[in-house]
Amino acid sequence: MTARYRSMPTSSAVDRREFVRAATGGAALVGGLVLGRPAVGDEKPAATETNIGDFMKVPRTRLSLPGLFPGRVVKVTDSRVLRDERVDAKVATEMVEKGIRTLTGRSTTDSFGLFFTRSDVVGIKVNPVGPPLIHTKPEVVEALVKWLVDNGVSRKNIVIWDRFEAMLEQAGYTAERFPGIEIVGLQTMDESENGTSWRAADGSHVSAANFDQDVFYLAKGVVGKNVRGYPSDAFYHNQHVFTGEKSFFGRLLTQRLTKLVNVAAFKNTGNGVSMATKNLGYGAICNSGRLHQPLFFKVCTEVLAAPVVRDRLVLNLVDGIRAQYEGGPDKDEKFVYPNASLYFATDPFALDMTGHRELVAKRKAMGVPTNEHPRFTEFLYYAEKLGLGVASPEKIALVEVRA
Amino acid sequence: MRLPALLALALALPAPAAAAPRGDEHLLPAGGAVAGWQAQGAARVYSGSELYELIDGGAEIYFEHGFERVTVRQYGNRADEIRVELYAMRNPAAALGIYLARCGAETPAAGFDERHTAGRHELLLVRNRFYAVVSDLTGRGQRADALLAFARILADRLPAREPVPVLDLLPREGRVPGSERLIRGPLALQPFVLLGEDDALQLAGRVTAVAAGYQAASGRTTLILVPYADAAAARRAFEHLLANLDSEIRPLTRSAERLVFRDYSGKYGEVRLSDARLELTLGLTKQP
Repeated sequence: MTARYRSMPTSSAVDRREFVRAATGGAALVGGLVLGRPAVGDEKPAATETNIGDFMKVPRTRLSLPGLFPGRVVKVTDSRVLRDERVDAKVATEMVEKGIRTLTGRSTTDSFGLFFTRSDVVGIKVNPVGPPLIHTKPEVVEALVKWLVDNGVSRKNIVIWDRFEAMLEQAGYTAERFPGIEIVGLQTMDESENGTSWRAADGSHVSAANFDQDVFYLAKGVVGKNVRGYPSDAFYHNQHVFTGEKSFFGRLLTQRLTKLVNVAAFKNTGNGVSMATKNLGYGAICNSGRLHQPLFFKVCTEVLAAPVVRDRLVLNLVDGIRAQYEGGPDKDEKFVYPNASLYFATDPFALDMTGHRELVAKRKAMGVPTNEHPRFTEFLYYAEKLGLGVASPEKIALVEVRA
Repeated sequence: MRLPALLALALALPAPAAAAPRGDEHLLPAGGAVAGWQAQGAARVYSGSELYELIDGGAEIYFEHGFERVTVRQYGNRADEIRVELYAMRNPAAALGIYLARCGAETPAAGFDERHTAGRHELLLVRNRFYAVVSDLTGRGQRADALLAFARILADRLPAREPVPVLDLLPREGRVPGSERLIRGPLALQPFVLLGEDDALQLAGRVTAVAAGYQAASGRTTLILVPYADAAAARRAFEHLLANLDSEIRPLTRSAERLVFRDYSGKYGEVRLSDARLELTLGLTKQP
């Protein structure tokens, strides 16, 4: 499978942040400016028709979202985890183990058995945007890999993945650091100025085969043409692989992975969160740039409702060793602070609501203008109405553990 | 097509990036200008929408304020790397607008007499119509001295300071230090309030509003002043606002010159039309 993910040369050393990644860029673009609204309950009807109804018809499994512990969020804090701006891997491992045990109320070994079998192929979705400050730290992922391997998962059945391959290496996810673990970007893109190497001879994108055209998120009438913020349709195509009204899921998810572990970073996008739900909502599909304006946060609910995610996503972590309350989703040092915390949940919506409330409190404490308009969290309540998670703060059980 | 015609066409087209300088390379520190730091390759310039190739989220706010181009060069010192991004904005208000949005609580380095904020990993600087970001890419935060050295060289090369007069509109009494912001479109307005979809105040990147927090006995409020080109433009903006209010804005008093409303949180706001200006007061605990 690795061979199908073609690499592209970078054009120059200044490409550290590299190409647009409107999966994040567009998000910041809106930051809540033009968000979709829930299609259920007493909210306004959605302006854009999607295939959420098809997702909801599929029977759920024992592990389907919100998972085994709806509404339960564990926050583990240990000030020793950051020493001289470096993550202490040993402390991070202790925190991961403590978080898992506290979440499940069982040993790490027994916890493993709740979520996985030894034959599972486990995909660890990271967030590589914002290194060296505000990405998913490799030390946290190393601890998760250790947990999986110690309990019998073969290293060759563990995949660290993100949508964009170049970002993974920049964030420290390399073969040298993770020997025997596959590191996969769902797509590549041409990072050179006006480059065309992303385009195959037939005009399609070279990464097209990496996406499963039988499994998709549909946003009817919303296509990747003349999308605001993109200088050309070719630019969009390079970055998003497809341009129609369907966003296909990565073939990695649909055909190979049997379980998902989501490891997001603790940061904002505008007045909203860019944490657990967005890490997968915009990371598991292609052709997402078109979705920002009409649907934005709603995508974070509906993509997670797709059975390919809903039934395989067994555990969510948010890496809040460092956290960022403004200027996200890319790093902005002025707003990054040492939070020394990791967050755990099977329910990504409860996790994001917890993160949102912490972000709001931090923004207020730091004197940053804070807008708590309901549209920044209504996608979480929408998930609650769909039975995918818990969003109401009074229903969320936050367990805080300090070293 | 005959050869002369092709030549004419080629001459009419914009020059390719590598053909000639099109950015502000001449303003960047030369390799070796900071002892031990050598330039890694040529500078790269991102003009207009090419900014999307550089920024991982958040490029739109630059466009809203008035982005023209950014010139980027990376420098190396053994295994360490520093990157300098020099943003040429449309005018000094555009540069200050993006700086104020990004600087947070300013933490200037001692002895550097330029508007800037210095951290362990990044230093932000603004002067005239230029905004600069000097970043330590190592993640260790041990190169603050080098960041400052790069910033000093940059500051010496940038054009002379120019004031941004719109800031003078803000009353001084009760103003929370460091809370000033410039607003040129909906993205910059959004952290304060959502009044309606899209460009509720009809700023369109051409009108520069100014905002600040004010501390009163009853709590903190936000004042936003929007100076339009003339009274007719201000009235059009006010009428547009009244006709396109967000569903969470509940009007309590609505007249030709004044709107009083209650927002989603139960707090009150007021919008006053006064000649060529709109004055917004947000976060009031009592109905005005």
